[in-house]
This record gives sequence, C-alpha cells and structure tokens, in this order.
Amino acid sequence: MNYPFWDIPFIGGGILIGFVAILHTFVSQFAIGGGLFLVLTEIKAYKENNLGIIDYLKIHSRFFILVTLVFGALTGVGIWFTIGLVTPTATSALIHIFVWGWAIEWIFFFIEIAAAMIYYNTWNKVSRKVHLSIGWIYFIAAWMSLFVINGILSFMLTPGEWIQDRSFWSGFFNPTMLPSLVMRSAVSIALAGLYALLTSSNLKDDNLRKLMIKYSAKWLIIPFFILPLGGLWYVSVIPDMSFDIISGGAPAVTLFAVASLFFSFLIFAFAYFLPYRHPERFPVALSVLFLLIGLTVTAVSEWVREAIRKPYIIYDYMYSNNVLKSEKDIVTNNGVLASAKWVNIDIKTETDTMKIGETVFKLQCQSCHTVEGYNGIKILVKGWQESFINEQLQHLNQLKGFMPPFMGSETERKALAKWLYELNKSYKEIGVKE
Amino acid sequence: METQVIIPDIDPISVPAPIWLLKILLLLTFTLHILAMNVAVGGGLIAAVTEFLGKKNNSQNHFELSRSISKMLPPFTAFTITLGVAPLLFLQVLYGNFFYTSTILIAWPWLSIIVIFILAYYGYYLYSFRWEKLEGKRFVVVLISALLLAVIGLIYTQNIVLMLTPEKWKEIYFNNPHGTSLNLSDPTVIPRYLHFMVAALAVAGLVVIMWGIKKIKINESLGKWGIRYGILWFIVPTLLNIIIGLWFLISLPKNFIMLFMGENIYATVYFMIALLAMFVSLILMFVALNSAKPLAKIIIGKVFLLLTIVMMVLMRHELREAYLQPYLNWDKVQVEPQWGVITIFIILLLAGIVTVIWMLKKSFGQKSNVDPVELS
Ligand code: HEM
Repeated sequence: MNYPFWDIPFIGGGILIGFVAILHTFVSQFAIGGGLFLVLTEIKAYKENNLGIIDYLKIHSRFFILVTLVFGALTGVGIWFTIGLVTPTATSALIHIFVWGWAIEWIFFFIEIAAAMIYYNTWNKVSRKVHLSIGWIYFIAAWMSLFVINGILSFMLTPGEWIQDRSFWSGFFNPTMLPSLVMRSAVSIALAGLYALLTSSNLKDDNLRKLMIKYSAKWLIIPFFILPLGGLWYVSVIPDMSFDIISGGAPAVTLFAVASLFFSFLIFAFAYFLPYRHPERFPVALSVLFLLIGLTVTAVSEWVREAIRKPYIIYDYMYSNNVLKSEKDIVTNNGVLASAKWVNIDIKTETDTMKIGETVFKLQCQSCHTVEGYNGIKILVKGWQESFINEQLQHLNQLKGFMPPFMGSETERKALAKWLYELNKSYKEIGVKE
Repeated sequence: METQVIIPDIDPISVPAPIWLLKILLLLTFTLHILAMNVAVGGGLIAAVTEFLGKKNNSQNHFELSRSISKMLPPFTAFTITLGVAPLLFLQVLYGNFFYTSTILIAWPWLSIIVIFILAYYGYYLYSFRWEKLEGKRFVVVLISALLLAVIGLIYTQNIVLMLTPEKWKEIYFNNPHGTSLNLSDPTVIPRYLHFMVAALAVAGLVVIMWGIKKIKINESLGKWGIRYGILWFIVPTLLNIIIGLWFLISLPKNFIMLFMGENIYATVYFMIALLAMFVSLILMFVALNSAKPLAKIIIGKVFLLLTIVMMVLMRHELREAYLQPYLNWDKVQVEPQWGVITIFIILLLAGIVTVIWMLKKSFGQKSNVDPVELS
C-alpha cells in the first residue's frame, strides 16, 4: 500500500514471478552442479588418460557458459527486477535486512562469472593443475553464492529468531536454511547430470558416448538418495500452517507436492533403467524429455515452496498483500483506503460504493487474485449472496488459512462485498443480452 | 490535494550501514559499470563501423581490429551485468522508495531489458564464436546487438530520471496502472542518454588505441594504424559530446544549472575539474595523433579522461541529491550498521579481487612457461 500496485491483467504478478523464477532456478542450479561436474570429470579424464573425455568437456563447457553466463545470469537479474515490481515492499525489506548478504553474494557471483570465462578460454593453454584450480574456484564461488542466496530465501518462510532480535545472523541461519541448502545442492547435482545427458547423447564417437551417458546418469542417481532425507528434514521444521497446506489444506498444493515427488522418482527410475543400464540406446530426444521432466519438477517444487508461505510473504512479519503484521490493527481501525498512499479517490467525499469496493480489492486482494484470470475472484465467489460474501470477509483467515485476515473498516468491507457480488451479476446480465 | 506529491515511506527497517559507505560503494561500482558498458556498447558500434569500412575498402587492418574486438565483446558484456548488479543493490537500499515507484510506472519496458539483453548477448557470442563463418553477415549481427544494448541504456536513463521527479508519478500512474508508460517526454532524458552513449564511443576508442599499442610490436604498420584509428574514435565523439553536454546542461531546470555555476561548491568544483581534465586529454590525444612516440601522451591522456569520468559521476550524484532534496532527509534515515557483516564483506571482496587477478595472471601471463608435455 506504500507503493503503487502494478496491475497485470489475467495473469497477475505471482505468475510472472513464478515464470521467471522457475526458468532461473532451472539454469542457475545447473550452473552450480555443472561446475562440480566439469572439474570431477576433468580429473577423471586425466586419471584414465582419456583425451576423448577432454574433447567432450570442451564442447560441454561451451554449452555450459552459453547457458549459464547469459541465460542464467540475466534471468537472475530478471527475478530481482520482477520482485521489485510486484512486491516492492517485501523486496525493500529483504534488501534492508540483508544488504550485506546480497553484497557478499555479488562477490561470489563476480568470481563465478570471471572463473567460468577463464576456464572455458584456457583449455590447453595453462597446465592441467592450473586449469583444474580455476574449475574449483568456479565451483566453490558458485556454491557459495547458493549458500548466501539460500539463507535469504529460506528466511522468508522461517525468519526464526529474527522476528524478536532483528539480527542479520538470526535471519540468515534460520530453521529451514540448512535443510533447503541440502536439497538445493542435491538438485543442482541432479541437474548437472540432466544437462550432461543432453551433451553426451550428442557425441559422435560410440564408445565415448556410451561412457559419458552412463557416467552422467550416475549424477542423477546419487542425489536421489539425498533428496528425500533433505525433504523430510525440511518438512519437519516448516511452520504448522505450511505443513497443513501441503498435507491437504489446499488440494492444489498437495497435488503439486505429490507431483514433485512423483516426477523426481520418475527421473531416478528412468535414469537407472535407461541411460545407466543401457547407455548404448539413449537418443538425444530422450535426454530432451528428461530435461523437460526436470523442468517440471523445478516448476512444481518452486510453486509449492511459494504456496506454503501463505498468508505471509515474509512469515510472521509481512502478509502476502504487503501489509506488515504489526500494522494490521492500524489498517483495520483507520480503514485501508486511509492507510494506502496510491488511491485515486477522496475518502471523505466518495460515495460510489462500487468504486470503493474495487479499490479495496486492488489493495487487499489483488496481490494474489486477478479478477478473471489466474486465481480469478469472479469464479470463486460465483453463486454467493452479498450477505454471505460480507460474512465470509469477516473470517477470511478461517475460510482459508492461507489468506490474510481482511483489514479495513466496515464500510470498506461492505463495499467490497457489494463489488464482488456485482461481478457475477453484471456477468449474468451481459450473458443474457448476448 | 490533487497536486500533492505522493512519496512512499522509507522502509521501517533501519539501513544496516553508514550512508556514506553505501554512497561510496554505489558511486564506485557505478563508475566501473559504466566503463564496462562503454566497451560493450561503444566497442560493438565501433566494430560494426569497422566491419563496414573493412568490407568497403577491402582492408585487412579493419578486419584484424574487428576480429580482436569481437573477442572482447562477450566478456565486457558480462562485466557490464556483474558490475551493474552492485549499484542496483546500493541504489535500492539508498533510494528504494523513489526507485521502486518509478520502476513500477514503466514496468514492462523495464522488464524488457532482460529479454533485450539476452538477445544482444547471444548476438555478441555469435559474432565472436562464428566470426569467420559469418563473413558478410558480421556487420549486421554486431550492429543489431550493439543497438539492442544501447536501447537498454535509454530505458535506464528514463527510469533514473523518473525516480528523481516524483511530481510526475501521480498523473502517470492514475492514467495507466499497467506499467506500460515511458518517460521520453522529459526534456533531459535524450541529451542525458546521448551524453552517455557518445562517451561510450570515446572510451571504446581508447581500447582501440591500446590494441594498436600492443600490435606495434608484432606488426608496426598495423599497430600505427590502430593507434590513429583509435585516437580518431576518441576525438570526434568527445568533441561532439561537448555540444551534447551543453544541451544536457541547459535542458535541466534552471535552479539545477545554477548548482554547477557556483551555487553548490562541490558541484561547481567537480564541473571545473571535469572540463579542465577533458581539454587536457583532448589536447594530448591531438598531439599524439601526429607524434612519432605517442605512448606517454596517450597514457597521460587516459588518466585525465578517467578523471573526467569520475568527476562526471560525482556531478551526476550532486544533481540527484538536489532533485531529491525536497523529499529526502538523510538525517531522518535510521542507521544501524552491521559492522560484523561489513567486515566480512570487505575481507571477501579483497580475497575475491586477489582470486580474479590470480586467474587472469595465470591465463594471460604464463603461456610460455607451461611444459608442452603437460598440455592435454
Ligand atoms: C548493456 C546494457 C546496459 C547499458 C547500455 C546500461 C547503461 C546505463 C546508463 C547509460 C546508465 C546511466 C543512466 C543515467 O544516469 O541516465 C546506467 C545506470 C545504471 N545501470 Fe546500466 N546499463 C546496462 C545494463 C545494466 C544491467 C544489466 C544492470 C543491472 C544488473 C545495470 C545497472 C545499472 C544501475 C543500477 C544504474 C544506476 C546507477 C545509479 O543511478 O546510481 N545496467 N546504465
């Protein structure tokens, strides 16, 4: 309410963030695991004295920098741009709490980018030892940037002691920080395997292809044993409300959580029976299919991670609609229109109930709902009487635990109820006319 | 009521560092960002012109140069982003309430930066990796990529100016909450933008000069040609930029012009030094153009150009503070420095710089020292 609300019809801001974040996660976690893949595989090549593997790595590392340096880096900036636009209040809070965390992350980002370019450009130009050192520098910097970012991201779900002491360290080393670090690390190793399957199934030389396909498949199998443990640990420390949401409180979320598990299992089973057992029969098309399933897992998992944070954007501190928990009573007492800055109506003189209702919707609900598109409110209140809507608005947080309570004056609530009710009424009228 | 300006409140969470430290880091990283951007954008434009001239005159010299530039473009583009992320962070913590608001008003053009950047960046990689194979298409590929990057600068300037003019926000937002507005109607935007872009050509010209100096040892005529060519790329845009700079200055509201004319002592001194340093570097480059031993003049000229750029950055900062002065009171901003984390940041920053220098030294410096048997 402090910032103007960016109105994106039909899809809403949440979907936009999700879209950018999923693409970015899918590539940036590859950027981490892929670094480990490059160095360990390079070591393997030297040990086995297999120059074919080195030739493969040269191709793979070109693919790697094109994907991670360009697409990975830019979509990362893209998330930052998007959250600043859609949820400026929360972004500002994260930046204020963790400026130095971001700044440290930036140092690792810088080293990572420099190391990746140098690693790619120095094949055969420096000694093996130096080349490997550069690879290690890349991987360590990349993993450290995950380490830092993960602390900040997990903070949003479980700010832990920070709520009381407001200390950087309490916020950073929060309850879900370690389990999600374990999970993200495991995922990045799996993604390294997925991408490596793509490049190795493209190899011309039969023996080398077989060797590399089987080897890449192993990268998928190992994380499969780490992930469930990390997942259990994670679930054991998330807030009760989040646990309820996953385990049935919101059917869609449960479905997605199950889908995430199912597809992960599918990748593992596929990896074992196809490329690992029969590397000779593994066409490029299958590796693309694998990647697509991987993308699906990333998408549903990220979606679940976002969903279980509701009704907050920063748990116990800021609601999904950017209102601070501590401001809740003030907003309720003074009214949301009086508390909001970017309102185009004069509160004292405005008499048009519909206009008030619409504005209240924008301020209180539109951060998660669109009118007619994604999570569209119109369908959700279809068939409800105005008095029923007004009734429900008084217990929003009980209607669905993942919604914040309605914050506003009685007049505002009634105006909102009327506006919501009229949505379907006018729809019917138009329907009749047609 | 209607004419009232809406300014979002500053964040209730205190700023975890002294304001001066954040400002220094902002200005420092911004300067580096602009220098990298100059090579990425200016270098791309020079490469395009050079490709064109090379083809037209069938000149091997031009192709030697454009081949070398093609290898520089991807890394400098990478540095433009990495060095852009840092000021983006410090800008948000210092001026977040202005920056987020203006960004929301131009949200879609702003987001399009990401897509444009990815396209341009892949264009540069294509130009660099496929230089030989592209042949006749090189000119088009590098030109389009460089122009795309240049468009990003225009979006940036619009936002950086819009964040300074809260008087305009209300009208823009209430007419269009969808974030598809632009800020091209502000009379300062175009000259301000051109000032940056033309400077980019001049700075990239310096890189060409350096290339020439390096080549002289291997191929004297090529090196000499490169130095002259680079000096021209420096001189012509810089002369042009004197006019654009003046245009920018007079496009500013009158009270801000006066800042540089004695009203604000800092702004005025920066301005004087900037002008002086620019003329010195111009004169040195002119002399170097027809000199048999241009090296010393070029190096001193560069130092003076760097001084000019630093002064310009400081002037730009004073201008921003003046714009925001009615809306921003630094004394009211709560500060609670997290000295522990700041210390870690500084240590890691130094360690990071050492690491990158080590890698660069290994990759450029020691080629001849490697035992050939060890090469795989
Ligand atoms: C090649 C593409 C880019 C170009 C041509 C470019 C150009 C510019 C220009 C001309 C300005 C000065 C605007 C003004 O004062 O009028 C600027 C500022 C800025 N740029 Fe870039 N930029 C590019 C990419 C980026 C990226 C990718 C980022 C961030 C990740 C970035 C971050 C910044 C920031 C934060 C500022 C403002 C600093 C301040 O106002 O103190 N830039 N850029």
